[in-house]
Amino acid sequence: MSRATISGEPDAFLIDLTKCTGCRGCMVACKQWNQLPAEETDFFSGEGYQNPKEMSENTYTVIKFREFEKNGHSIFSFYKEMCMHCDDPACVSVCPVNAFHKTPEGPVIYDAKVCIGCRFCMIGCPFDVPKYEWSKKLPLVRKCDGCYSRIKADLKPACVTACPSAMEYGPRSQMVQIAEERLKRHPDHYINTIYGKDEAGGTSVLYLSSEPYEELRFPSVPERPLPSYTWPALRLVPGIFATVVTGLTALTLFNHRKERLERERNKEKEAEQQRTVQAEEDKS
Amino acid sequence: MTNHWIDIQHSDVIMCIGSNPAENHPVSFKYIDKAKDNGGKLISVDPRFTRTSAKADMYAQLRPGTDIAFLGGMINYVLNNDLIHKEYVVNYTNAAFLISDDFEFNEGLFSGFDKGSSSYSKESWAYQKDENGMILRDDNLKDPRCVYQLMKKHYSRYTPEKVCDITGTDLNNYLQLVKTFCSTGRPDKSATIMYAMGTTQHTVGTQNVRSYAMLQLLLGNVGIAGGGINALRGESNVQGSTDYAILYHILPGYLKVPTHTNTDLQAYLKKWTPTTDDPQSANWWGNTPKYMVSLLKAYWGEAATAENDFCYDYLPKRSGNYSYIKLMERLQLGGFEGLINMGTNPIVGGPDVQQIAKGLDKLKWMVSVDLWETETSVFWRRPGADPKTIDTEVFLLPAASSIEKEGSISNSGRWAQWRYQAIKPVGDAKSDAAMLDMWVKELKKLYAEDGVFPGPITDLAWDYGHEEEPDIDKVARECNGFFTRDTEVKGKRFKKGEQVPSFAYLKDDGSTVSGNWLYCGSYTEKGNMMKRRGLEDPGGMGAYHNWSWCWPVNRRILYNRASVDLDGKSFNQQKPVISWNRATRKWEGDVPDGGWPPMNEPGTKSPFIMIPEGYGRLFAAGLADGPFPEHYEPVESPVDNCMTAQQCNPAAMIPADFFSDSDKYPYVGSTYRVTEHWQAGAMTRNLPWLVELVPDMFVEIGTTLAKAKGLKNGDMATITSARGAIEARVLVTPRIKPLVVSGKTVEQVGMIWHFGFNGLAKGSSANVLTAAVGDANTGIPESKAFLCDIRKGGMKS
Repeated sequence: MSRATISGEPDAFLIDLTKCTGCRGCMVACKQWNQLPAEETDFFSGEGYQNPKEMSENTYTVIKFREFEKNGHSIFSFYKEMCMHCDDPACVSVCPVNAFHKTPEGPVIYDAKVCIGCRFCMIGCPFDVPKYEWSKKLPLVRKCDGCYSRIKADLKPACVTACPSAMEYGPRSQMVQIAEERLKRHPDHYINTIYGKDEAGGTSVLYLSSEPYEELRFPSVPERPLPSYTWPALRLVPGIFATVVTGLTALTLFNHRKERLERERNKEKEAEQQRTVQAEEDKS
Repeated sequence: MTNHWIDIQHSDVIMCIGSNPAENHPVSFKYIDKAKDNGGKLISVDPRFTRTSAKADMYAQLRPGTDIAFLGGMINYVLNNDLIHKEYVVNYTNAAFLISDDFEFNEGLFSGFDKGSSSYSKESWAYQKDENGMILRDDNLKDPRCVYQLMKKHYSRYTPEKVCDITGTDLNNYLQLVKTFCSTGRPDKSATIMYAMGTTQHTVGTQNVRSYAMLQLLLGNVGIAGGGINALRGESNVQGSTDYAILYHILPGYLKVPTHTNTDLQAYLKKWTPTTDDPQSANWWGNTPKYMVSLLKAYWGEAATAENDFCYDYLPKRSGNYSYIKLMERLQLGGFEGLINMGTNPIVGGPDVQQIAKGLDKLKWMVSVDLWETETSVFWRRPGADPKTIDTEVFLLPAASSIEKEGSISNSGRWAQWRYQAIKPVGDAKSDAAMLDMWVKELKKLYAEDGVFPGPITDLAWDYGHEEEPDIDKVARECNGFFTRDTEVKGKRFKKGEQVPSFAYLKDDGSTVSGNWLYCGSYTEKGNMMKRRGLEDPGGMGAYHNWSWCWPVNRRILYNRASVDLDGKSFNQQKPVISWNRATRKWEGDVPDGGWPPMNEPGTKSPFIMIPEGYGRLFAAGLADGPFPEHYEPVESPVDNCMTAQQCNPAAMIPADFFSDSDKYPYVGSTYRVTEHWQAGAMTRNLPWLVELVPDMFVEIGTTLAKAKGLKNGDMATITSARGAIEARVLVTPRIKPLVVSGKTVEQVGMIWHFGFNGLAKGSSANVLTAAVGDANTGIPESKAFLCDIRKGGMKS
C-alpha cells in the first residue's frame, strides 16, 4: 500500500532552509538510491563548496551554496534544488507522448521507455529541472522522480531519510500546516512565505527560508499553473507537433529495442555467472 | 560527554567552540534544532564563519589558540557581576576551599616551576587541612586564600578589552555573547558547551577544556539537563577506544598504566588508589584495587592468583612518555624495527608528516590494516622518496568495514550500542578482531616453543573460539565480567560463571573477572544490554534508559547529583534529571550518581564522586601546567603574549631544537575537516560520490589576503611553514576575516587536512606544515595554530 492511499492526498517535501546545514547527505543518498555516477568536478563550481554546478542527467538534486555579506554579517546559505513535483506540471502538459504524469502520491514521474527526447519538458519547466543525457548518443530526459519506487514501498524518499535536520515528508496539507506553525511561532526567524505553496499553481516541494528567496536565486514563478501558459501556445502548432512526435517516437522505439535486447543479454550473462559461482560453492 | 546527544535539546544556550557540529557532527543538529525551536540560542565561536556559524544566533570570531583568554573573560564577567549559581558553587565545587599560603602566580608562572625540567612541583598548590585531614573552607567565599577569591584575582586581569585584544574578537560581539551565555547561572537555565579538536589540539589543550569546565561549574551547569561540557568525538567509536585504553598511559576503564617505580601490585595500588579523610566523600577511585585485580584476572585468568600478585609482573611498566609525538620522534631515530598501523594513516594525520614518513624508511617491516591503500601503506611511493633506498618490507591486510562485522560501538554520549553484521567481508577482508586473534594464537605457539619470557603471552587467557572470526559475544561477556567461583558479595550469593551485575560487586580477591570495570553492567545475566532497543522514555527527558546501555551503570547524565538542591529537589523543576522521593526515600529519574540520600541528610556523599575530595574542581592541582588555566600564546604565534612575559605554556612538550620565524611565516594557519571527507581521507577520497563534492585539496583565505597576494578563487597556491611546503587550490571567501590583535592585523590561512598523495582524489597533506609540539598534559599536537606563508602558484612554479 502506498503512502497516498493511506493519507488520501499527495505527499509533499517540506524543506526548512533555516535548518539545512549544507551537509549534502541528501545528494549522496540520491545518487546511491538511483545509482547515478559521480560527476567529474574541478575545485568548486560556485560559491562556497558548491559542486556540481547544477542538476544534470546524473545529479537529480544539488545543494546550492551562497556566501555573501549583508549588513556587515556573513551569510552562508544552502538551498536544495530538486524537481518541485508541481501539482499541475508543465512537463506533463507539454509532453507529446505522455511520458510524464503526476501521481496521486505526489511525485511527477516519467516513463523513459516512451520518452522521445524532444526536450519540450525542458523548455516548459519553469524550474529548469528536466535534464538531457548529453553524454549519450540517443539521449533521453532525466530528473528526480521523488523516489517513486520507495514511495510505493511505503518508504520515504532517499534524501529525506538521509537528512538529519531540514526535511519533512508527508501529506501536503500537513506539511503546509507545519510550515505555517513555524512561521507563526518564529516570525522574526523566517521570510513570511512558503515557497511552493502557490508557485506554479502549487508544488509538492515546499520551502521555508530566513533569507529572501530571490537572494538565494530561487526562480520567480507565477502562481498560475504553468500549463495554462504553455498549452495554448503549443496547441497552435499541430503540424510541427505531429512531425516531431512521429519522427522521434520511431527513433526512440528503435533505440530502446536495442537497449532492451542488450539488457536482456546482460541479465542472461549475469545469471549464468551466478549459476557457475553457486555450483562451485556447492562443490566446496 | 557529561551529557548525551539527545539531551542537547534541553539547552537554553549552546556554545560551539573548537567544534563545528554542522559539518562534522551533522546529526547533532537534529537536537540543536530542537533546542532552538524551544527558544534556545546557538553561539558559534570559530576563527572561520562555518556551516555551524551560518546556523547560529550569535557568532564570534577568535584567533586560533586563544580560548583561555576568551573563557577567562567570561569567568571574570560571571564573578564580577555575581552571576554564579551560588548554592551550587558553595556546596558542590571547591570554591570555598582554602589553598596553601605558598601558592602564588607571578609573571605567567605558578609557584613551584623548575626551569631546568620545564615542569612544576605541585606542593604549593595543596589545600589547607586541619589536624584531622579535613580541608579548611570558608563558605562565605571571603577568605583571600579561598579558591573563589584566588580565582577572582587571577581572572580580574581578563577584562573584555584585554581579551578582545588577544583574541581579535569584536568587543560588542563578545559582550553580547558573554551576557547571553552567563545568563544561565540561574537555577532554571542551562547552557552546554560542545567542543572538539579545535579545543584540544593546542599546547594548552587540556587547560582549554578546564576553562570550559570552570565556567560551567560557576554557572551550575554541570550535571543538569541541557548542560555539561560535551566532547564531540571525531570517530564513531573514539569514546569506546578511549574507554578501552587506546592511549599510552591508561588501561581499560581509565586505570593507570604502571610505571617502572610501581614494582609490585601493592606499590601500584598504593600509588594510584586515592584516599580521603572526609567521610562524606565517596572517593570512587578508592575501588581501584577491585578494578585492577579483576582486569588482571581478565588478562591472565587461572594463572593469575593472589600468591603471584595476579600476574601483575607480566604487565609492561612504562618508564617514559609514549605519546604520539614521542613515539614518532623515536621512529625517526630508528627506534623501531616494525610498525603495525590498524586504521591509522600517520603520514597524513600526524604532525610534521614529512619527518614521520622519513622515520618509516628506517623500519624493517610494516603492516597496514585498512579498507584502502592508505598513503602510509605506500609511503615508499611518496613524492620525493626513492623506493630503491627503502628496504622496509610492507604488508597490506584488507580490513572488514564496520558494517561487515558485529560488536559494540560507544558514541560520544557513552552509549554502547550493539551493531550487527550487515554483509560478509568483501574478498579476503577480515575484522580487526579476527586478525588479532590469529596473531595472538600464533604468538602463543611461538612463545611456547622458545620464548625468552613466555609467561605474559602463554598464560594469556585467550579463548574466543576456534572459528576464523572470534566469538565476539564472549569478548563482550568478559569485558563485563563474571564470577570465577561461588561467592557472596554484599549479602548476595553468586555462582561460578555468573555474570557480574555491576561494578559494585567486583572484588580484589580474584573472585571476579572484568575486562573493563566501566562496562560492568553492559552484559549481565539478563543478557547483552547493548542490544536493547526499547523506546520507552517515562520521564519524557529523552534519556531512553532501555535503548542500548551507557557507562557507568546506564547513567545518562554524569554528576547528576549536582542537579538537585540540598534536599534533593531538582534545581530546574521543568527539566529534572533526578529528584529525591521523600516518601519512598529513593531517587527518581536517571540512574543517580550514587544512591545516597540528599546532602541535607546523614549518610550522604558529595556529588563529584570521582574526585577524592568530592567537589567539582575550580582549582585543579592535578595538572602539569597549573591549577588555573592561563593564557599563553601558541608555540608559533605572530604576536607577543600581552598577558605576561611568559610567551608559551612553560610546561608544553617542545623539542629543544624547535624554531619558528614569524617574519618569514606571518600568517596564522589552522587545519580542520569538512563534512564531505573523513579524517586522513582514505575512506572518502576513494569514493566518487564524495570526491565529486570536494575533489581538491583547498585552502581558505579572506579577501584582503587574496588581494595582497594576487590570488583569485580557484588559483593554485603554495603554502609554507618552517616544516615544509604544500600546494592547494585557493578558496577566497568573505567568511574568513583578518583579526586585529594587539593593534596588528593578523591574516588567517585555513586548510583541510584530509588529503594525501594516494587514492582517487589526491592532494598535498596539510600536516606537512604542522609542528610536532604537544600539550603539557596529553602531548596532543598543536595542529590548530601554527605560522605559515602563502604565495601564488604551485610548488613547481
